[in-house]
Amino acid sequence: MRARLLTVAALVALVASATLASGATARTHADPLTIYAAASLTEVFKALDGAQHYNFAGSNALETQIRNGAPADVFASAAPLNAERLFKAGIVDKPVTFTANRLALIVPRSNPAGITSIYDLRSKPVKLVVAAPAVPVGGYTVTVLRKMGLSSVLNKVVSRESDVKAVTGKVALGQADAGFVYVTDARPVSDQVSVIRIPAWAQPRVRYEIAVVSKSPNKAAARAWVKMVLSAKGQTALKNAGFLPLPKASS
Amino acid sequence: MTEPFSRRRLLTVAAGGAALAALPVRPAFAATDEELACANFAVSGELLLADMYGHALGANALTDPGRNALRNGRRAAIQHASALSGLLTGAGQDAPTAADFDFQWPAKAFTTPVAIASTGRIVLRTMLGLYQTAIVAVTEPSYRILYASLAGSAGQQLGALTALAASSVVEPFPVALDLESASGALEPYLG
Repeated sequence: MRARLLTVAALVALVASATLASGATARTHADPLTIYAAASLTEVFKALDGAQHYNFAGSNALETQIRNGAPADVFASAAPLNAERLFKAGIVDKPVTFTANRLALIVPRSNPAGITSIYDLRSKPVKLVVAAPAVPVGGYTVTVLRKMGLSSVLNKVVSRESDVKAVTGKVALGQADAGFVYVTDARPVSDQVSVIRIPAWAQPRVRYEIAVVSKSPNKAAARAWVKMVLSAKGQTALKNAGFLPLPKASS
Repeated sequence: MTEPFSRRRLLTVAAGGAALAALPVRPAFAATDEELACANFAVSGELLLADMYGHALGANALTDPGRNALRNGRRAAIQHASALSGLLTGAGQDAPTAADFDFQWPAKAFTTPVAIASTGRIVLRTMLGLYQTAIVAVTEPSYRILYASLAGSAGQQLGALTALAASSVVEPFPVALDLESASGALEPYLG
């Protein structure tokens, strides 16, 4: 009897040790992926799949973290440049475009500076908040202002933030008179800010790209997740959050 | 080493009609923000105009003489967009393309010759208004020549569209529009 118990115990130990060993090299499907995503994707990705681990920040910061070996499985960037640079360095698999967005100017609901048009930024004394130029939305802001002949407005910037959520937050809290964000970032704070439309002809090409990190220990699950984002389910969630359909050239 | 863009070259290009679209444009001067903004909006407006002509042709509301006017107008709009795009790319900017827009037209915009003329006139009067302002606003003489040429063409197209509606509207002084006003006028159509 004692010999039989020892045999069972040995078998249990063997199975446990094998399970632990396999867990160290490859996660099971039940384990969450670690997804590094642009801050503007915060609400929609969490709503789309709340079971994963997310790190939301400016795409430039995420790119640096992944380059330095951060343990990401998937990278979703608000600008092609960040994902493409990692691809060229062999750090992520080939990125694909999965959605698009537009920029908007937001002002606090109380609108203390009386801004009703983007052109008011030129003529009125305003405290403007933007993202830093290296952050995708910061670069897009510069593009919009240049396209509209309003680059001089950048002299009124009082703060350059590390991601779009920080810009949104400052305007929503009334710490700035206006800020440039994606239209999708204005939605969650629509009770605190008013949106001023930027003309279609001045819009930059805001394209989001997604890629599996090459050294991900669970590439199959990461690929499946990317596929889900590109699927009808993923695209519907993005559309419902205000993102644009896949650009014509990419669809 | 590429040859810098010169005033003479632009005049040659502008006189070249269809050839205008095919030639590379490289400004040897630094375009101002305002000049680039005018060009950006103008490309978008010409792309919108080309789309308008395309829809009007597709609607089959006109017989041959009228359809020829639409074809000629469409050809001109495409050439204008190409020439203006050259100014932007020569200045290191991305030029808008039709793929950047989701043009919107009212439901009955192309149902009759009168409707087509009315729709086209909205776009063309806006473009003509902007081109008048651009002629004065830009500092580079060769840009002024180009915008004057574009204004002339817009006027011709307005005449052709007016004739489609069996009308004979002649404005002695078409209104000049600044960029903000022109942008506001076309925003509902640019999507």
